[in-house]
Amino acid sequence: MTGFRTTLRTRLTLFYVFLLSVVLVLYAVSTSIFVWQGLLREMDQSLDRDLETVENLVTLMPDGSIAVNTGDQEGILLLEIWSENGALLYQSGDLKGQMLGPPVKPDDPSHPPNRSVRLANGMRVRVMTLPHKLNNQSVVVRLGVSETALREEFGRMVLALALGLPIALIFVGVTGYFVALRALRPLDSMARRAKQINAEHLNERLELENPDDELGLLGTAFNQTLARLEHSFEQLKQFTADASHELRTPLTAMRSVGEVALQNGGDTRYHHDVIGSMLEEVNRLTHLVDSLLILARADSGRVPLQRSEVGLLELATESAVLLEVLAEEKKQSLEIEGDESLTITGDRLILRQALVAIIHNAVKYSPSQGSIRVRVGSENGDALVEIQDSGPGIAPEHRAKVFERFYRVDKARTRDEGGSGLGLSIADWGVRAHGGLIELECKQPGCTFRIRLPRNGSTSVSSEK
Amino acid sequence: MERVKTRLTTRPPGYRYKQGNNKHMKILIVEDEPKVGKALSEGLKANGDEITLAQTGEDGFFLASSQSFDLIVLDVMLPGRTGIEVLKTLRKQGLGIPVLLLTAKDSIEDRVLGLDAGADDYLVKPFAFPELRARMRALLRRGKTESIASLKLGSLEMDLTTRLVTRDAKPIELTVREFELLEFLLRNKGRVVSREMLARDVWKESNRATPLDNVIDVHIARLRRKVDDEFEPKLVRTIRGVGFMLSEVER
Repeated sequence: MTGFRTTLRTRLTLFYVFLLSVVLVLYAVSTSIFVWQGLLREMDQSLDRDLETVENLVTLMPDGSIAVNTGDQEGILLLEIWSENGALLYQSGDLKGQMLGPPVKPDDPSHPPNRSVRLANGMRVRVMTLPHKLNNQSVVVRLGVSETALREEFGRMVLALALGLPIALIFVGVTGYFVALRALRPLDSMARRAKQINAEHLNERLELENPDDELGLLGTAFNQTLARLEHSFEQLKQFTADASHELRTPLTAMRSVGEVALQNGGDTRYHHDVIGSMLEEVNRLTHLVDSLLILARADSGRVPLQRSEVGLLELATESAVLLEVLAEEKKQSLEIEGDESLTITGDRLILRQALVAIIHNAVKYSPSQGSIRVRVGSENGDALVEIQDSGPGIAPEHRAKVFERFYRVDKARTRDEGGSGLGLSIADWGVRAHGGLIELECKQPGCTFRIRLPRNGSTSVSSEK
Repeated sequence: MERVKTRLTTRPPGYRYKQGNNKHMKILIVEDEPKVGKALSEGLKANGDEITLAQTGEDGFFLASSQSFDLIVLDVMLPGRTGIEVLKTLRKQGLGIPVLLLTAKDSIEDRVLGLDAGADDYLVKPFAFPELRARMRALLRRGKTESIASLKLGSLEMDLTTRLVTRDAKPIELTVREFELLEFLLRNKGRVVSREMLARDVWKESNRATPLDNVIDVHIARLRRKVDDEFEPKLVRTIRGVGFMLSEVER
């Protein structure tokens, strides 16, 4: 945990508690209001019944005074009787001279019918006011009943709610925290494990308890990223090893040839020969460095395509004609056919480079008297250039790798015959830069390199390998 | 302009047929890498030219503005002032002599930058020495039109109008590419031409990464079969590690 407020489980818990406290407070307040109103209503109904009882006890004396028979009445009686014109006719002894609210107004004797008042001694009383006929004389009867019991009951209920609320919140907080802790525990272990995975241990993976839940999906995605990273790392390692081999070989040759020549002395002719041999290695290195620079620039993604309308058959023919003599030397037949009108928008030089590399490859690996066929066509809206050779074919385990840098199917076949080993990588990059891809299909004998390019030049081709 | 007499001593006979300006050249080389500078000046001195070598941009600028040269070979990556800056200042001062830029950067932007600064040509390192010579000759020849109807070396003759090639008066059948190749070799007779030059000038291939070396070798072999097999002396010579040369005598 890096800080109290910052962990996910703390934030989750706080969120639960906050949400629940809002809900509980709203619940408690609305419940209290509802209960309080119910209690008042009940009290008013009983007051109403009491008033009827009291009315029967009131008698008008002949002298105009009022007598109330309180003989069998239980508890305290809070009663006032007012005349129509607002004069107090009677007040019960239990009131001890205190008034049940302000005097009755003559014009509005029954208003308000029910209300709560506070007596001078602090007692809270519910008062009901009603006009009454007493032997044809109109009077106003005001009866009160103490609210003390009711208020005590309500207070107990509110107290119970107020005490229960924090208890509930504490309970929810603690449980919520532990539930979150438990749910997120795999995340902690994943984080710990991920920290241990570095460049030396890229083959390790996260262990997933349940690959189908959210955390499992995250872990799976992480593991896939690791797999890709591991693959790139392997490629890079392989590339570095291959590149140093390819660069060191001509350097070693130059060095030893030079050193031996210096040691031996010899005549001018011999020296010419030695220098020539060294220059051959220099040429080899120059080509290698040129190719590596093309790939380095391609990797940086900064090669802008000089797009124009390119006729594919024309381009394929041009590339094939360039290499025709090599096929002739091996008595191979080199045939080109296809749709002359098929054009795409692309970088002519880069596409040509790709075609030359693949046709060169086909000539190189096809035997004497073999045949090479180049076909230009379209399929599902993609433009296709197929180069079919009659070479020995490529074993399935090598097929995916022939486009890797310096990759050679036959390791013994180096340098002189095998070229730099970068041609197909450059071709692959060139086609990809156009949103296309190169498919490789091998039968016995012969392989077909199928260059698939999107027709409109901007989107990717429809089928992915 | 001060000129020294043309030296005609140790050079093979082929040089006598050099086209264009046959006179001795005064050339300024601005190159900070001592080995490259030394190799260039020695190579060009052997050609009979007078070479001045400057190792920094400041020196180069001082020499170029205080003396007169026929051509400047200018490296781009120099300590202090870059070749591009030197060139811009020289052009601003109204210096109009041909300038050939040497650089290790070969992106299109770099080329444009160099040509915009006023360079006449551009050569990417590492380059073949014969190619540097060829480019320099081309720059010095610039503006002078040639109207040669036929090329000749020993008993080999090429009529550029009728496109007829003969050796010892016997006609030789050549394909279009072989004709162009032979024409290029004849125009440069007595001089070594590299595979890069052939790729660029005969095959019109601008991309250095295109694998043309084998293709060129096959064409040379075929040309040799037609031109040399039944005749003496042999004319098409392979200079190991460098390229080819058309010459009556062995170098």
